[in-house]
Amino acid sequence: MRKRIGAAALLSIGLLAVGVAQNSRSSTLVYGGDFSDLISLDPGISYEFSGGLITDNLYETLVKFEGEDLSTLKPSIAARWTVKDAGSSWKVTFNLANKKFASGNPVTAADVVYTFDRAIALKGNGSFLFDEVANMKIGSTKALGKSTVEVTLPKTASPAAFLNLLTFNIGGIVDSVLVKTKAVGNDYGSEWLKRNSAGSGSYSLNRWDQNQQVILDANPNSSLKPKLSRIILREMKEANTQKIALESGEIDIAENLTPDMVKAKATDSKFNVYKADSLRLQYLGMNTGAGSVFEDARVRQAVRWAVDQDSIVNVLAGGNARKVQTIIPAGLFGFNPSNPYSVNVEKAKGLLAAAGKPNGFEFEMLVPQGSCAAGVPCADLAAKIQSDLGKIGLKANIKQIVQSELLGIYRAQKAQMVIVGWSPDFPDPDGNATPMSDYGAKSLAWRNAWNSPAAGKLAQQAALETNSTKRAALYKQLTELHLEEGPFAILYQPKVPVTLSTTVKGYLRNAQGQVRFEKISK
Amino acid sequence: MRSSRHKRKMLNYIIRRLFFVLFVVWGVSLATFFISQVVPGDPALAALGDKATDEMIAIFRVKNGLDQPVVTQYFSYLGRLLQGDLGTSLRTGRPISDDLRDFFPGTLELAGAALLIAALIGIPAGVLAALNQNKAPDLIVRLLALLGGATPIYWLAILLLEFLHNKLRLLPGPGRLDAYLIAPPRVTGFVGLDSIIAGDWQVFGDSLMHLILPAFVLGAFSSALLARMTRAAMLETMSQDYIRTARAKGIAQSRVVVKHALRNAFLPVLTVLGGVLGGLLSGAVLTETIFSWPGVGRYTTDAAISLDFPAVMGVTLLAGIAYSIINLVTDLLYALFDPRIMYA
Repeated sequence: MRKRIGAAALLSIGLLAVGVAQNSRSSTLVYGGDFSDLISLDPGISYEFSGGLITDNLYETLVKFEGEDLSTLKPSIAARWTVKDAGSSWKVTFNLANKKFASGNPVTAADVVYTFDRAIALKGNGSFLFDEVANMKIGSTKALGKSTVEVTLPKTASPAAFLNLLTFNIGGIVDSVLVKTKAVGNDYGSEWLKRNSAGSGSYSLNRWDQNQQVILDANPNSSLKPKLSRIILREMKEANTQKIALESGEIDIAENLTPDMVKAKATDSKFNVYKADSLRLQYLGMNTGAGSVFEDARVRQAVRWAVDQDSIVNVLAGGNARKVQTIIPAGLFGFNPSNPYSVNVEKAKGLLAAAGKPNGFEFEMLVPQGSCAAGVPCADLAAKIQSDLGKIGLKANIKQIVQSELLGIYRAQKAQMVIVGWSPDFPDPDGNATPMSDYGAKSLAWRNAWNSPAAGKLAQQAALETNSTKRAALYKQLTELHLEEGPFAILYQPKVPVTLSTTVKGYLRNAQGQVRFEKISK
Repeated sequence: MRSSRHKRKMLNYIIRRLFFVLFVVWGVSLATFFISQVVPGDPALAALGDKATDEMIAIFRVKNGLDQPVVTQYFSYLGRLLQGDLGTSLRTGRPISDDLRDFFPGTLELAGAALLIAALIGIPAGVLAALNQNKAPDLIVRLLALLGGATPIYWLAILLLEFLHNKLRLLPGPGRLDAYLIAPPRVTGFVGLDSIIAGDWQVFGDSLMHLILPAFVLGAFSSALLARMTRAAMLETMSQDYIRTARAKGIAQSRVVVKHALRNAFLPVLTVLGGVLGGLLSGAVLTETIFSWPGVGRYTTDAAISLDFPAVMGVTLLAGIAYSIINLVTDLLYALFDPRIMYA
C-alpha cells in the first residue's frame, strides 16, 4: 500500500514536472543562430549584429521604427519631438512619455543626458555615430526639466540622420541611477553592463553564458507587454546543427540555414520561411584614379552593361536577393528603383571602343575569402563576374585574400577592382550617400579615387535638407548621377531568410536586423 | 636505501623536465609570435571593421602595442608572459586568461570523456582482435578500426545527431545542457561537477547525456587508433618466450593475457594514449562547432578568423604546456608499468 502511494506520488511529481516543462516551453522562444560575435551587451559599446539584436529588446530608444518600415519614425521613450532651426544650430527637443525601467526607476531626462554623454565618452565602435555623424559632444544634450530633453546639433549635421541613428542600439536609454552605482573608476558602469541590463525594454537580461546562450526574461515594468515570458538565444554556428535542432524542436527559429535547406523548409508544412530585407549592398568598386583602366566613366558603364545581375540574383543567390542598381538600398528613404542596365555586350563593347579601349584590358580583381552577402561564396561570385566581363574583352585576374588584407589595400586606394559589401550604419540614406559620393568623407568614394564635386555637394545638401519632398528629389538626382558616372556596379541587395517553426507567430525583422521580441508568441 | 635514492633521482628528473617545459613554452611563444607577424591582414582592421576611421585604427594600434617595432612587441609580450599575463584578446576585449578559464573546462570535459570512450572501446577491441588473429572477431575489429579511422568527424557527427537525436530521440541535441535548464553557479567550470556541488541532479543527468554524442564522435577516431595499436602490441607480446613459458606453467589464459601480455603490450599503447589526449585537447574544433560546445577549439578558430593573435598565442602556449605535461606523465607511467625503466 505504502509502495503504491509512493509510486502515485512520484508519478504525480513527474507529471507535474512534465506539465511545468510543457508550460515553460509554450511561453519560451528558443532562437538558434550564430551569435559568436557577441562581445558586450552594453548598448553604448555593442556594435555587432548579435549585440544589436539583443540590446534592441533590453533598451528602448527615444524614437523607433515599427514593423518592417524604416522610413517613418514612431514615438518610443519620446512621446513627441520637434526640430528647430536656431540660426547657427539645430535644436531637437524631445518630450518623454511616462515610462519605467526594469528596476522600477522612472525614465527621466537625466537618463537621456547620461546615456548620450556616456556613449560619447566611452568611445565604443559605434560612438562615431554620435560624435562624427551627428557632430555631438559631451554637453550637447541638456535636460529641460524632468521629462524634456534638448539636443543641440551644429549646422554641419543632418537632423534627419540624427533622428534615424537614434533607433540604433547606441541610442538605448540606460537607467542612470542604477548604472552609476555600478560604475568603477571612469568606466561608466561598462564592465557591469557588459553582462547585465538596465533598460526599459520588453525584456531584461537573466544571464549570458558565453558561446552558449543568452537568456532574457520578460520585464514586468515594461510598457511594451511582451507576450512570451522568456527568450533564449541559443548559439549554434553550424547550419546543419541548426537544421537538426529546428526539426527536433530544440529551437523554434533558425537564422543561418543554407539556401538549399531554406528551399526544402519552404515546402515543409511544419515550417515557415521569412525573407527579411537587409540594407546591405554587394558591389563592384572600380578605381577611377588618373591612369587607372577604369578612369573613363564609359568603361565603368561598359562594366555595368556586362554584369549579368539576373543570374547572380536568381542562380547564385538562389533568389535570396533583390536586383538593385542604385546606391541607396530598397527600404530606405530616397531609394531609386531604377534598373536601367541589363546585359548588352554590343553596347558595352561600343562604350569601350569610344573610351579608346576597343581591345579591352587586363586588371586585378580583389575578392575576400569566404562568403559574400546572401551566403554566395565570394569565389563563385568572382568567377561569374570574370566570365561576364570576359565577354566584352576585359580580363579580370581574380585575387582572393582575407577580408582585412583586402580592406587594407582598398582603403589605401590601391585596388583596381574589388568585390565587397557595404551596409549603412543607421537607417538613413546618408549612411550610403555621403560615403559613396563625398570624396572628402574619405570613405568609399575616396577608396575608388572618385572625386566628383557635384556628387559630394548633392550628398551634403540632401543630408541637411529637412523638407522630405526636396530631400527625396536630391537623392533622385544623386542616384541618377551615380548610375551614369559612379565608380560602383551594384550587384545585389541580399535578403536574410529566417526559418521558423509554424508555432511561432508575430516574427518580423526589419532591414536593420531588428526583431521585436515582445510581438512574438507561440 | 636504494629506494630513497631512486626517489630522489626521480624527483630531480621531474624538476629537470618541468624546467624543460619552460623552454618549450619559450619556443612556442617565439614561433607563434613570428608566424603571426607574417600572416597577411591587419588585426586592427579585422577587429574594427570596414567603417573604422583612421583615427580609431591609430588608437587601436597604440592601445594594443601594434605601433611598436616587432622585436619590441615580442619582448614586451614575453615580459608580460613572465608575470603570468597572457594579454588581452583583440576580439573579446577580455584578458585571455579569463577567456581560457571559461572555455578550457568545456574542452577538458569533452576530451576526457572522449579519451575514456576511446580507451574503453579501443583497448578491449585490440586485445580481442589479437587473441583471435585472422578469425572473425579480428576481421570485424580491423574493419571497424579502418572505418573509424577513415570516417570524417563532420559526417559522423551529423549522422548521429540526425538519427539518435532527431529521429529516435534517444539522446539530446547540441549544446552542453538543455536550453530550458539553467546551468549551476560556476565553481569549477565543469558543468557536471558544478551541478553536483549545487546538488542539482537534473542538470547533472542532463549534462552527462549531452556529453555522450560529442564524446563518442570525438573518441571514435582515437578508439580506432588505439584498437590497431593494442592489437599490434599484443600480437608481438603474445609471441614472446615468457608468454609461452607462462602458458607452459599452466597459468590460466585470462591471467596470461592481463598480467603478462597486456601489461607488457601497454607501453606503446600508453605512448599513443598520451598523444591521443593531446590531440583531443587541441583538435576538438569540428566537434565543438557541430555540437555547439563552448570550448577552446571554437574559441581558437574564432580568434584565428579575426586575426586575434594574442588569443591564438595564448591557446598555443596552453597547448604546448598541456603536451609537455602529458608527455612527462606518460614517461613517468612507463616506469610504473615497466620496473626496468629508471630515470636519472
